[in-house]
Amino acid sequence: MGTANYDLVVVGGGAAGLNAAFSCRERFPEKRVLLVDRESEIGYYRTLLPMFMAGNLTEDKLFFWKPGDDENLDTRLGVQVRTLDRTAKSLTLDSGETIGYARLILACGGHPVVPPVFERAVTPEGVFPVRGLSVAREIKDWLPDHRDIVVLGGGLVGSKTSVFLRLAGFGVTLVEKESHILPTVLSADTARPLQRHLENMGVQVKTSTTIDQFKADGNGAVTSVRLATGEWLPCGTFLVGIGSAPDLGFLQGAGLVEDGELIVSPTLQTVDPEIFGVGDAIYIRVAGGDKHNPWTWPQAVNQGKLAGANAFVTSPVPLKRTTRVNAQNIAGVPIMILGGPGVGSSVEARPGPGDGVWREFFMHDGRIVGGALVGDIAGAGPLHFTMAGGEDVSEVADDLLVPRTRAFGASAWSSLGQARRATIIPAKGNDGC
Amino acid sequence: MDVIAVHVDRCVGCKTCELACAVERGSEGKTLLSAVREAPQPQTRVRVEGAGGVSFAIQCRHCADAPCLDACLTGALARDAATGLVRVNDDRCIGCWTCVMFCPYGVIFPWPERKLALKCDRCMHMESSACVDSCPTSALEIVNVDKLADAMAEKRRSAAMAASGIAADGAVLLDLAK
Ligand SMILES: Cc1cc2nc3c(=O)[nH]c(=O)nc-3n(C[C@H](O)[C@H](O)[C@H](O)COP(=O)(O)OP(=O)(O)OC[C@H]3O[C@@H](n4cnc5c(N)ncnc54)[C@H](O)[C@@H]3O)c2cc1C
Repeated sequence: MGTANYDLVVVGGGAAGLNAAFSCRERFPEKRVLLVDRESEIGYYRTLLPMFMAGNLTEDKLFFWKPGDDENLDTRLGVQVRTLDRTAKSLTLDSGETIGYARLILACGGHPVVPPVFERAVTPEGVFPVRGLSVAREIKDWLPDHRDIVVLGGGLVGSKTSVFLRLAGFGVTLVEKESHILPTVLSADTARPLQRHLENMGVQVKTSTTIDQFKADGNGAVTSVRLATGEWLPCGTFLVGIGSAPDLGFLQGAGLVEDGELIVSPTLQTVDPEIFGVGDAIYIRVAGGDKHNPWTWPQAVNQGKLAGANAFVTSPVPLKRTTRVNAQNIAGVPIMILGGPGVGSSVEARPGPGDGVWREFFMHDGRIVGGALVGDIAGAGPLHFTMAGGEDVSEVADDLLVPRTRAFGASAWSSLGQARRATIIPAKGNDGC
Repeated sequence: MDVIAVHVDRCVGCKTCELACAVERGSEGKTLLSAVREAPQPQTRVRVEGAGGVSFAIQCRHCADAPCLDACLTGALARDAATGLVRVNDDRCIGCWTCVMFCPYGVIFPWPERKLALKCDRCMHMESSACVDSCPTSALEIVNVDKLADAMAEKRRSAAMAASGIAADGAVLLDLAK
């Protein structure tokens, strides 16, 4: 097959890749852009898949973009990138085509980790990873006849999937290998009441264990899985929602991957300044050596936009925020996750008025580095930006910890400079303002 | 772009704007008497904030580079092409509250009973804005943000502004410190 050349090639048409392509097209209208994705459909909200699988959302609401609207934005869909040759500045696709690039953006996302038990055997029917639309469609069609579901992974994807499926009336068991759900973002104290909330809505939660065996029927469909504790869980559907390790095989030998990780600078450049990385596929190394990746939708969009705008400038701009914040509405209980506990951070927590209202911060040197608001999320936005700005809040932490319905208590309001928030019209004749 | 701005020296913190917004934009009945009896209770999109003797009404700034637009997980938040205002398409909002978390001004409000994120759209489909019309002290006014920005730039050159070290980020701002 042939060869084509583009100014910019984007590998992956998820949130990060698509926004990178859009922003490059907007910023540099003369540049020709190609998007490659192994899925045959792109331009949808991955975040809505749990609702879609559960049958609570029509397909038209999933999409925000369809290919073909922009003649300078080409796509190759349903094809996978196989290799990268940095010297020739070209990619090969599994269709046989070779694509030359001037700039490259790697936005290949993450993939669920298949548990070892299924690697040793032929994967039975009814076992699905939760990640893409085509599989989500299969799940949606499979579920009505296989209503007992085991979800593996009590992280954000697994918990969210369990909630939406349970709300739709399915039988759901959630299996998490750590001692509590959402282990990377919540302390055990905060996770426990949430876990109880899940249990109250009918989700069975099994922690500190994993799956080590399965049984299938004569048609090769899964009928039950066994926990490491020996307990068998009958299930017609088994959903894998763990891990989001990117599939970086196609970068082998290209010299971009360090210990299995694709690392970029705050300007989102890899060691090769003409190659950028964004979204779930990457880690950002900030000054001081710390590595971050928020692995959330807002960050993927934000990083994509920045990489697209940085692609052809001589002085690329660094990313403003690398906060790993995330919001979840767990069946009526709102939670705001400000980020997981970092090394050496202390926990400051405060129960609120009434059951199920709780705030906790992970603090380091007087700064908030993570935490969560549970049940009452008032003021979460300003709090997020206070944290992102790295402000020392030791004086007002107590006040910020108090759950409330107004955005700010008095002391926080003045000390955080919230007076700057409104568009304020100066008083007439008051020059000093 | 036209946005709602506030005269801090006129705002007395009476919250009439909150009531007017909730009744006009949040209720079925459109009168205070019927609105108070509605369930779920009508919510306001403007909030009066303040401390230390200063108060002001605040609502969505319709930021130029709005973080909430990047954050929306469902496509519910979008900028209206004609007016430049950021609005919520109720049909697409699922109440995940991610935008709430990404609003630096704290002016997107969760409305759990309706599973909707609530924010000011400047009453864009109405002749005028409920909060502006109702303010008893005329503290709220619709201004053109670009013109105001010019006026601010002028002001900012003054020594007083420089000394107070104000940094405008996303919104047009003037310091309160005298
Ligand atoms: C079910 C689910 C629910 C979620 N809910 C939330 C939520 O509530 N809030 C939140 O903030 N985040 C949520 N997330 C996370 C969020 O969706 C991701 O952080 C975001 O989608 C990452 O975007 P991305 O573009 O980096 O990767 P992706 O969206 O994964 O896109 C990567 C794309 O690259 C393609 N690709 C990979 N390798 C190749 C290759 N070699 N060749 C060609 N194409 C390739 C893939 O097919 C894919 O389309 C959720 C994720 C899932 C799966």
